[in-house]
Amino acid sequence: MDLAKYRAIFIEESTEHFAEISQALLELEKDPARVDAIDVVFRMAHSIKGMAASLGYDSITELAHKLEDRMQLVREAGVVEPREELSVLFRGLTALEAMVGAVRETGEAPPADPELVSALAARSGPEAAPKKKRAEAPGAARRSSAPAPRLEAPRPPPTVRVNTRTLDRFLSTVGEVILNTSQVRTVSQSGVTQNTALTEGLDRMDRVVGELQRRALELRTTPLLRILEPLPRAARDVAERAGVRVEVQLRGAELELDRSILDRLSDPLVHLLRNAVDHGIEPPDARIAAGKPAVGRIVIEARRDKDTIRLSVSDDGSGIDLDGVRRRAQESGVVHPDLAADLTAEQIAALVFEPGLSTASEVSEISGRGVGMDAVRSTLESLGGAVEIATEPGRGTTTTLVVPITAAVQRVLLLGVGAETVAIPIAKVERIEECPTERIERAGSDAFALIDGDLVPVLDLASHIAQPAAAPGRYTHLVLTEVRGERVALSTERVAGQQQIYVKPLPELLRGARALSGLTILGDGRPMFLLDPNQIA
Amino acid sequence: MKHWGLEMARVLVADDASFMRQMIREIVEAEGHEVVGEASDGDEAVEEWKRLQPDVVTMDIVMPRRSGIDAVKGIMDIDSTACVVMCSALGQETLVQEALQAGARDFIVKPFKPDSVIATLNKVLEKKED
Repeated sequence: MDLAKYRAIFIEESTEHFAEISQALLELEKDPARVDAIDVVFRMAHSIKGMAASLGYDSITELAHKLEDRMQLVREAGVVEPREELSVLFRGLTALEAMVGAVRETGEAPPADPELVSALAARSGPEAAPKKKRAEAPGAARRSSAPAPRLEAPRPPPTVRVNTRTLDRFLSTVGEVILNTSQVRTVSQSGVTQNTALTEGLDRMDRVVGELQRRALELRTTPLLRILEPLPRAARDVAERAGVRVEVQLRGAELELDRSILDRLSDPLVHLLRNAVDHGIEPPDARIAAGKPAVGRIVIEARRDKDTIRLSVSDDGSGIDLDGVRRRAQESGVVHPDLAADLTAEQIAALVFEPGLSTASEVSEISGRGVGMDAVRSTLESLGGAVEIATEPGRGTTTTLVVPITAAVQRVLLLGVGAETVAIPIAKVERIEECPTERIERAGSDAFALIDGDLVPVLDLASHIAQPAAAPGRYTHLVLTEVRGERVALSTERVAGQQQIYVKPLPELLRGARALSGLTILGDGRPMFLLDPNQIA
Repeated sequence: MKHWGLEMARVLVADDASFMRQMIREIVEAEGHEVVGEASDGDEAVEEWKRLQPDVVTMDIVMPRRSGIDAVKGIMDIDSTACVVMCSALGQETLVQEALQAGARDFIVKPFKPDSVIATLNKVLEKKED
């Protein structure tokens, strides 16, 4: 038996089971008598036990077995005791996760916590089932659960698991096909006479390759649910320790995002959620005194907005203590005292993203884990996104992660400057205008053009990519784009068309060039850089 | 194809854990039998049985939607000579009894030991040929 192979399957499969158990326990928290949820926990524990036993992980087998037994008793009673018992079940799940995590890291299962094992074994409380002989239990339970309505979700189509490295190699190969196709087209166009059959063949090939590329990219996208699903439970754990009560709602979890981006959003989201629970939601008595329901509400919502996904975490807690933030910002020298008084509420709230401020005075056991809001911001910025925050004293706080839906293949606009051609993502382009040179007004080193009645800053592309400026012609092309929320016009010598390109990451040597977000190889074999307009200005 | 004096058997593996399905597949294929299908719940097991008409089914007891025991009953309703071997865990003796009464031929116990899995399968297949 190939142990490594089965260990990998075990880790993967039990991790999926943990998510299902977690989901089911959260449902039981709302409705302790949900037969289907009780059943899921029982089955998953049973399944984990079987796998662990096959691999000789005795401690995991033992704990999963205890959890299964406990769920057997719950099945018989038809209801879970929503306080202590549910808490023990959650602890059992957390312990199993940690043990499987250890198997992942070290290949060994640590011993089970004996206190937890005995806590799982002892069922007490008002709902405790009448004692039955162990041997009778399973059959009896199966019969009692048989007439229960089938509440499980419709069966999803069968899936296969693919190693991400395999997937990336496949995508890279598709990228090569795209590059080769455009190289062939370039060659075919360089002949003196046009070969119609060849051109038609290439057109057909483009369509097929386009389809292939679209499908290939779909393979990389994953529903947000993957990272949102564990959050309600994480919130519950934090809430329990912080002495508050919360209910978490997920919205828009079906939206899909490139997996490489998705995975990097997980930590920032957990951090925002911890903040919301730990610093936002008030203890039940304080909430009641403020005329709010005892249980705090946190909504995690994903929404598509043009070429971005906006992921927001909103709580109905106390809001950010703006005076406190202002004071801390002043004390730590982030803001000059004279300026601090003039800051708007929004500007003060945004200060929580400054390094050293977010975790300064409110370090708690739960949230003060070293990833501050500044880390959230830098993660988002490295993805080409942003973080926004809005808060209202007494009403709550909403923090929003704005994430670009970038993909490996992008449609770009080609801009020519001297001998150089660069590309910018077409999704960032509002429109292109031809503008008489004399209509560009200069004030010192700044230039502006009147567009739609507004003065818009004009950035000369040539000077920003260190190319000698050509002698000004009578007209210049203005590419209207947005830089950090502001309308900006990029002036360029020529617009050389649009194209679908496969964006390769920059080589290590060029990583420092922030304005370059990627690289592609043109049909004739020359490299072309993809510019990030946000980083030009 | 002959193998150890037996016909190569067509096997259907029903288990909700792909871990277990793979493990049984490996054991069964090493013996020269063919796994013709897999099912991940009781409903699917019955459907796949109808479609594939395998020589033998390895049937997990605890599965979603329809338990292994109900699936055995479902298969027996269609063909009372069908050959089903239950996959059980320690502590499921009562359920195994119930499955045997419902028509299952035998059972194997997790964690699986290749030798005893094969011995059990070959035993029920031999009997089936009689």
